[in-house]
Amino acid sequence: MLTLGEVHTGLLQNSVPLSAERVAKVLRPLSGDQIQHYERPLTRGVTADRPRGVDCRLPAASKANPHVVGTVMWRSTVVGGHLVQGSAYADVVDTGEKRRLPWSHYTASPGRLELLTRADTEDVAQGYLRGATRPDHLDTAAIAAHALDRVQRSALLDRAPSLKTRRTRLRWAVIGTGTMPQPTTATFRVVSPDLRTVEVRVADDLMPGVIGLCEDLALHDWLLTTVARLLDNTLTTRRYGHVQRTELLRPAVDYFLHLWMPGARVDESLTSVWESLERRPGFTRQWDTSVARIRDQINLTTIELLRLTECATGTSAPAPRGRPRLPLGPRPPRRR
Amino acid sequence: MFVFATSDKGGTGRSVTSTNVLYRAALNGEDVCYLDFDFGSPTAGAVFGVSGVERGTTQGRGLHRYLHGKAVELQRIDVWQEARVLGGRPAGAGQLVLIPGDEGGGEFNQPPSDELIQRCADLLSHLNEEFSVILVDLSAGRSLATELALAATGLERMSRIESRWLVFHRWTRQHVLAAEGLVYGVNGLIRQAEARGHDPVIFRRRIRFVRTATTEPSSERERLGGLSAAQVAWLQQRNKELDLLASNRQVGRVVRLGTIPLDPVLQWQEQLISNEDVGRGVANEATLEAFDDLAERITDKSTWEQP
Ligand SMILES: Nc1ncnc2c1ncn2[C@@H]1O[C@H](COP(=O)(O)OP(=O)(O)OP(=O)(O)O)[C@@H](O)[C@H]1O
Ligand SMILES: [Mg+2]
Repeated sequence: MLTLGEVHTGLLQNSVPLSAERVAKVLRPLSGDQIQHYERPLTRGVTADRPRGVDCRLPAASKANPHVVGTVMWRSTVVGGHLVQGSAYADVVDTGEKRRLPWSHYTASPGRLELLTRADTEDVAQGYLRGATRPDHLDTAAIAAHALDRVQRSALLDRAPSLKTRRTRLRWAVIGTGTMPQPTTATFRVVSPDLRTVEVRVADDLMPGVIGLCEDLALHDWLLTTVARLLDNTLTTRRYGHVQRTELLRPAVDYFLHLWMPGARVDESLTSVWESLERRPGFTRQWDTSVARIRDQINLTTIELLRLTECATGTSAPAPRGRPRLPLGPRPPRRR
Repeated sequence: MFVFATSDKGGTGRSVTSTNVLYRAALNGEDVCYLDFDFGSPTAGAVFGVSGVERGTTQGRGLHRYLHGKAVELQRIDVWQEARVLGGRPAGAGQLVLIPGDEGGGEFNQPPSDELIQRCADLLSHLNEEFSVILVDLSAGRSLATELALAATGLERMSRIESRWLVFHRWTRQHVLAAEGLVYGVNGLIRQAEARGHDPVIFRRRIRFVRTATTEPSSERERLGGLSAAQVAWLQQRNKELDLLASNRQVGRVVRLGTIPLDPVLQWQEQLISNEDVGRGVANEATLEAFDDLAERITDKSTWEQP
């Protein structure tokens, strides 16, 4: 058995996180009243899964490009009132039927892509993770992006987010290992600055839970990526003094740090997958490092500010020579 | 923020100025992105010096095909990495990304459909999540690319994202009149914008003019450059007349965002001007300063208050 999917994650284009009621309003045009709402561990609004019909090829690694017809499911999620995800997924099945049947046949089992040509599971999974290369290939990226765009379209958003961020994409494939209990494995790869893949192997009955697992993984990867990028930008920018630079980190502290709860919403039977990802690449280890760097930066700035006040009130000796220049001051002259 | 670059005539220096200005903004730490909407002749790749996309991309993943739903994934070029002369992103610089047109794409040949408008708006707003300046190089004159840009930004949901329009023109009588017509004419930008849901009064405040490849007839340089006293006097006279004409036609100083001097390097080659070009004495320092100023003014709120 095989399930393929893709999740895109980004920042909701609003200055502050939305309340659960606002989230429901933002999602309503996508899904009417069929919005699921969860309070814990984080607030989460999710639209109903919707089918999108496709008749396309799969980008198999062997270049066999097997033909599939059926539907891909998609949904949009808002997490913590502030992050937004667009998700697309489908099972790939071989029914043995090689003729294209009327549409009603495919719409009767939503979220299923039926193979019209023979295909090897491994081959299809690897090809899919490598990505579509032809216009007639299955394009889950477009469907996931659309699911995200549809949320960002909302006229209720003020479009003044606290910082510029890049969307990240997680493409995933789950391969069923059969009906016997088997150890689950997950291989996570960073393909490019915004693209990651994960290949999961689990017993067949656990497969449905993997969609939520991948959304959770994508969310944490976005947090990690975004906070790391923000830190790098803050430390390399030459535009501001020390204090202003530390100010740039503020959105991370105000809005992102509390969202870190890896695996908290993942099906119990799949926690071993998160555990293996925590060993490698070690998400929480990386996260803790970033958080520590942010705290260090803030502490250093506090010390600078204290010293400044002391200098100003004459309660201490002036700073020793050779220290970096005091942080406040006009913007340095432009480079030519 | 979206910055739309347009001009009435071709060859005004729209692309060369836009690429250079964006390059300066990136050097200064802004995350910026260039969209080549000159579908008929997408040349931004050549100006940035990115091999393989001199006349648009050949990979089939450019803007033209993407907007028509024919590209799997839009191509995105990291100019710092890909440009022959830049060799990597300097410390403290922002992102500099080029989204190319398609080689052989051709102008759009029918008015934008609703689907196309929505897709274009989604793309623009997606890029706006990430970049502080998204510069869109439109083609010269009245084009369907301009129509599309106006329609996409005219949607209710796009109205909260800042957008600015730069109209490029050379400093001649014909160019001044052409720029006036493009903006204020019967089928001009303002009318077109209104038809696409923009408030004409607000839209008008978003438009500024950029003079390109100008010479300074008052300067010593002209005289040193071999012009006779009579020639200098004649140039000064024309310059005065042009100033007057421009302000009478609402293309004058109040709505001018920048003036880019004629540069020998750009006269001979469409390219980015680097600090090294100036250091070696090949390009003029004044040109670089003009690009820097323009880059700064585009994002400076105070320059966009009501003229
Ligand atoms: N400041 C300048 N000094 C001298 N030459 C310039 C200057 N700016 C642009 N040019 C030159 O003018 C020519 C036209 O410039 P460019 O291609 O940027 O114009 P354009 O308006 O984008 O034209 P098109 O309508 O064909 O797209 C180019 O050869 C360019 O190098
Ligand atoms: Mg051009």
